[in-house]
Amino acid sequence: MKVVTWILRILSTLAFAYMCYLVYSTLQGYWSWDAPYVFIVTVFRLLSFLVFFISLVVMTGFSLIVGGGAPQTLVVGLYNTLILKMWYMQPYGVSGPLETAEEVFQHFAVNFNAIIADLWDTTFVFLYFLGAGVGIALFLQSLYRMEHKYVGGSFLAIQSILIVAAYRHIGNFHITAYPSDFVTFLTSSIQILALVSFAYLEVGYQMIYSSSVGKPIEDREETLKKQLLALRQATRKQDAIERGERVSLTGMSRSSGATAFSFLREAMERKVIGDKDALENLDAVSDVRRLQHFVDELLASDPAARDELTAKAAAPSSYYVIGSTVMGSAFRFLAVIAVSFFLLSPQFILDALNLPPGVENSVAITQPELILLFVVPVVLLFPFIAALIGWFSQQDEEEAITRKQRREKAKREKERERLRKEAEKARRNKERARKGEVVEEGKDEWDRALEETYKEEEESPRG
Amino acid sequence: MITQRGFVVVFSGILLLTSGFSFVNLYCLMLGVYLLVGVVVSLPLFAMTANISGIEVHRTVDKAKVFSGDFLRVRVTLRNTSRRHFDFIECHDQYPETWILAIGENFIASRIEPGSSVTFSYILQARMRGRYFLGPTEVILRDRLGLHYYIRTLQAPTEILVYPTYKDVRRMEALGKQRQLGLMFGAHRTKVVGMGTDFTGFRAYVPGDSFRSIDWKSSAKRGDLIIRQYEMEKNIQVICMVDASGSMGNGYPENTKLEYAIRAAVLLTHLGLERKDLVGTCVFSDRVHGYVPPKSGPNHMYDVLEALSMAEPRGWSDYESAVEYVVLQTRKRSLIIWLTDLEESPAPLLNAMKTIVANGHKAMVISPFGPWFEVPVGQFGPVEKVLAEAVSEELWERRAKIARALSRFGIEVVNVGPEDFLPTIIKQYELAKRKGVAMF
Repeated sequence: MKVVTWILRILSTLAFAYMCYLVYSTLQGYWSWDAPYVFIVTVFRLLSFLVFFISLVVMTGFSLIVGGGAPQTLVVGLYNTLILKMWYMQPYGVSGPLETAEEVFQHFAVNFNAIIADLWDTTFVFLYFLGAGVGIALFLQSLYRMEHKYVGGSFLAIQSILIVAAYRHIGNFHITAYPSDFVTFLTSSIQILALVSFAYLEVGYQMIYSSSVGKPIEDREETLKKQLLALRQATRKQDAIERGERVSLTGMSRSSGATAFSFLREAMERKVIGDKDALENLDAVSDVRRLQHFVDELLASDPAARDELTAKAAAPSSYYVIGSTVMGSAFRFLAVIAVSFFLLSPQFILDALNLPPGVENSVAITQPELILLFVVPVVLLFPFIAALIGWFSQQDEEEAITRKQRREKAKREKERERLRKEAEKARRNKERARKGEVVEEGKDEWDRALEETYKEEEESPRG
Repeated sequence: MITQRGFVVVFSGILLLTSGFSFVNLYCLMLGVYLLVGVVVSLPLFAMTANISGIEVHRTVDKAKVFSGDFLRVRVTLRNTSRRHFDFIECHDQYPETWILAIGENFIASRIEPGSSVTFSYILQARMRGRYFLGPTEVILRDRLGLHYYIRTLQAPTEILVYPTYKDVRRMEALGKQRQLGLMFGAHRTKVVGMGTDFTGFRAYVPGDSFRSIDWKSSAKRGDLIIRQYEMEKNIQVICMVDASGSMGNGYPENTKLEYAIRAAVLLTHLGLERKDLVGTCVFSDRVHGYVPPKSGPNHMYDVLEALSMAEPRGWSDYESAVEYVVLQTRKRSLIIWLTDLEESPAPLLNAMKTIVANGHKAMVISPFGPWFEVPVGQFGPVEKVLAEAVSEELWERRAKIARALSRFGIEVVNVGPEDFLPTIIKQYELAKRKGVAMF
């Protein structure tokens, strides 16, 4: 299985690289490589501008309250030179040290708007880089961790670049661009990009499947090895204790899987708890030993026992997996392209429907929302068909329960009911019999029974 | 059924679709449609292939009857009898909650081709006696992209009967071996002087003695008639009445009065068989659940174990019906040992005891005292402690009364707790042997 996974890993890498290249070329001219730096500097400038402005307002207000007038030029100059300039908190657009506070107030609105506008432009380019960075990081994770969330995350991160670009109407993706001719539809640049993106998702998921379908068997083998090792260690340790040898108490490490081995863990706990209770301690030790004997005998008597415990034979064949991957992916690809063409080409459908000219030439027909008219029913049609098939399958399964099983079940229930009724009847008879007895107030039923016993003995003739 | 992962793809598709509409962008629209269609397009095909009637589950176990605490290998074979392959099949074979998975795993995830099968096994430790079922097997079918799944439960139960624990017997045997005294250590055979082959001694002749018993040689030496005595070794017949009423089930799961009573019955049967005595067992509550008449055959122990393993604490104790049932089937004089908590009304118990005595049997009651088996008083708060003590006193008083009442019939009541339950039953059995109660 590892070979198949590696092949799919390479294919996934190629699809991802090609998808990234297509996204890059779609936004050709918009990638400015200093964008991350510019973005960070702009954010820093905006913050410094705001900090400076707020501190100036506070300082001026403080001078007015304390000194009764605007701050001295020297103080302002010192403040500017020593604090603001040293910390690169010079207001945007002002080169030299400030002399008066009015100068700052006069330029505030213009400066602030200029920085915000700059930040607005830079942010979009920065987001492209952010999306690309996150996408690549998640893609690399997916190759190693083999989890669906990383493949899906990398796909969405790369696609988010195009979504952000779409917001600014960058790229030739306008709604009127899609053709009604199938060949043109298939060979258009955006179709190729969409297909490659979809292919990446498909190959990525197939890669995870090929890894996960063989993994449980490998994990199972690993777990069994750890369990047997832990069991052997525990038995040997007990033998050593009985021989009076000194053994390390931490011999059963977490790495050997002993703590993940519920049976042994429970036995160890019982041994610790049962420290005072010699019998409980003895039981725990005996259980571990008996398990060791059982496993030894099993492995010695049945040559297939180890393979069955690891389920080695259950590992799927690589050829089958490759074959079904190719077939499954091809089917999905063709089906998706065909259905998507049907949905995305309203003109094709409108021609087929032969609508009256009034409807065909209406404004609503030219709106993109028209696609929804077809997407919703077509997409819901598939789950509906699946539900129908599932319902029929369920019928087959129910029929698979044989009449014999039903008869047996009915028989068991009947017997249970009979016994219940018998017990109920006996209980009622007993209660009825007891009601007939005279109940003396304030006397315990045991006392009464005792008295009756004495009475009977006295009445009986002594021999 | 669409998986969580499938829903994420659907939501991504909707996100792209709405982005396409909002920003009038064909690419987002197209990708959105691709994702939505990609999720649902294979759904009918998957529904068609995921027909579970093509999967057969076959479970085999090494033994269908095991002792509590024993290990059991379970082999599960999944066979694909259909013409379809199952891309990803997860199989969880369920086992009783109280059991412990000792080695291996009880689930598997793989792919099954048409006509092929997958076998896996695991080792369980059977805990707590009773009738258990392995299974059902839960089968989860997933498509290869993990977007859809179907869960089916295949009813293929395998019945396992778990006998009561044998550890008490093992312990006793181990102790015997340690002392180098063999299995018959501590055995007191019931001896009857009179008929028999084992010479026991001489005594003076009394009128009525058989002339054949006169030892002429000794008589000549002593100058008086001397009789030679022989002794005969006799065995006793015991019937153990195990009360399985609801009140016997109070306490911690493996330390209920019923569990101790069952352990005591197992031990008693083992001891009896070792010493060639006849030991029978009756499990009763509001009806007789199982009765194994006193026997000494090789399979007798298993019959007793089977009857005991099925005992479930429920209902109330109908002593009269139980005695009636047992007495009707017992011709020989027997020692009837009751293992009951005496928490029922007195009249039926006294009537039952009268029936026993009237039919010439002997009886004794070994009674687990409820409060000693239930929650330890140390775990209670001050109010609960006072209440618990009051209840204990009340119960103790009732016991004293019933003991007095039963002593009129020569029936002894021995109150026991978890620590002295098993030693008491051994002691009482040995005592009965020594006294020669209910010999046959």
